[in-house]
Amino acid sequence: MSGLLARHRNIIDFALSSLLRRKAKNISLLAVYTLIVIIIASCMLFINALKQEAAAVLKDAPDMVVQKMVAGRHDLMPVSRGEVIGGITGVRGVTARLWGYYYDAVTRANYTLTVSDGGQPAPGSIYIGSAIARLTGFSQGDLMPLRTYKGESKLLQVVRVLPAEAEIVSADLIVLSEKDFRELFNFPAGFATDLAVSAGNPLELATIAAKIVHQFPDTRPIMKSEMLRTYDSIFDWRGGMIVVMFAVAVLAFIIFAWDKASGLSAEERREIGILKSIGWETADVLLLKFWEGAIISLTAFLCGATVAYCHVFFFSASLFEHALKGWAVLYPQFRLAPSINAYQLTILFFLTVVPYTAATIIPSWRSATVDPDSSMR
Amino acid sequence: MKTTSAFIIWLCLVCATAAYAADTVPVAGEKDKCPVCGMFVAPYPGWTGVIVLKDLSALFFDGPKDLCTYYNNVGKYSPGRSRSDIAAVWVKDYYALTSIDGMKAFYVIGSDVLGPMGRELVPFMKESDAATFFKDHKGSKILRFGDITPQVMKSLE
Repeated sequence: MSGLLARHRNIIDFALSSLLRRKAKNISLLAVYTLIVIIIASCMLFINALKQEAAAVLKDAPDMVVQKMVAGRHDLMPVSRGEVIGGITGVRGVTARLWGYYYDAVTRANYTLTVSDGGQPAPGSIYIGSAIARLTGFSQGDLMPLRTYKGESKLLQVVRVLPAEAEIVSADLIVLSEKDFRELFNFPAGFATDLAVSAGNPLELATIAAKIVHQFPDTRPIMKSEMLRTYDSIFDWRGGMIVVMFAVAVLAFIIFAWDKASGLSAEERREIGILKSIGWETADVLLLKFWEGAIISLTAFLCGATVAYCHVFFFSASLFEHALKGWAVLYPQFRLAPSINAYQLTILFFLTVVPYTAATIIPSWRSATVDPDSSMR
Repeated sequence: MKTTSAFIIWLCLVCATAAYAADTVPVAGEKDKCPVCGMFVAPYPGWTGVIVLKDLSALFFDGPKDLCTYYNNVGKYSPGRSRSDIAAVWVKDYYALTSIDGMKAFYVIGSDVLGPMGRELVPFMKESDAATFFKDHKGSKILRFGDITPQVMKSLE
């Protein structure tokens, strides 16, 4: 056992010094390899993080949202309809929701204003999202001015900054009281933005939706599954652009590995010939080449994955900025919540390290099996 | 005197335990299987039926149909037991998804709503809910627990 370990150690030792002997060539090889891994890993981490954010957005979404439509546009919903909808068999609860968007000209960002059911702040005070706090510099206890529908400034006291976890959900959020919300937008009493309907049994949602439309033909029920589809397509579209980059990177890697696999340089062939003539066996030569490939590909994989992680989660995937342009307008500052998927890392490992290592062994095996005399010539 | 009070306390405890056992609905674990069809029960929380036996052991079913199959032929699935060993029957109300007394529930058959085992007896606590469901989902009959005979079960196969 210790003999086997010692053999491997000696061969790794030799492989490292042999790599160092061709420093310039191997460093450039490592650089190209690392760059490709960075791009592939960034794509994977980015798509995964987007999916996670989508799941976070939808976790607390109501089973169904009912909107009133006028001429094909979303209109204010009379709260009284909530009682009628609440009477439909199978409906567990109906909540009239008040929410809207507010464009802040100073920071040039859109905020989402909402009146929450549970834990509403007292009139005159608000909760703000972490990104708004970062952007405007307001913290707990400060007075934040918001422009009313008349153009006057309304001062509201920040009593809480919402925690930064699940960034995409709460980042751009301002929670305020119903009274302030109605005053700010001249929102008529007895009306809400829409109705959130929850059903006891999710199987009944389609029946409930049909009954709502039958009762109020000018409404549009939107099911959670439909919201899920919309979010999926938005995220998939963004993901799709990333996949194109991903495909290009994979192609680059294939060309790179192919080039490596298609043959050895005359110098390398000579080296193998010398090793064999001084008594190395074919198995030893293959082991040496395996370790050379493994050292390069593992280093590139670890460096690439680490850099990709920093790129996506600490620098907000700045290389993919164009794919994110839509969000840059919507959200004050977008930062993805760090998450690592072991399954994806394993795929990345098998996609990069294994083929490369294999690609280095095959040509070595071919030249190691021929007569050392002819390969040295 | 002392023994009498001890006996009364003991009696109270027994009664309380019995009442507790009859009122709390056992929850199906991940490994519980339906004794009739052998399927795991946990993936279908909206349909789970429970039969509590007098020895306080519980049997879980993946739907009211299998529960009734068992009820109609207890000896076949639990050799040595009979219907008189059953202490309580629980099914899930279709609209609220809460556990209700299966003996008092209303069941709609012939509807377009399918359970884990296909055509189902859909249970309701209130008759009005059963009637609404009957209309909405094109049911063919509303039954009480006592009406569910082997002939009815045959029509659901």
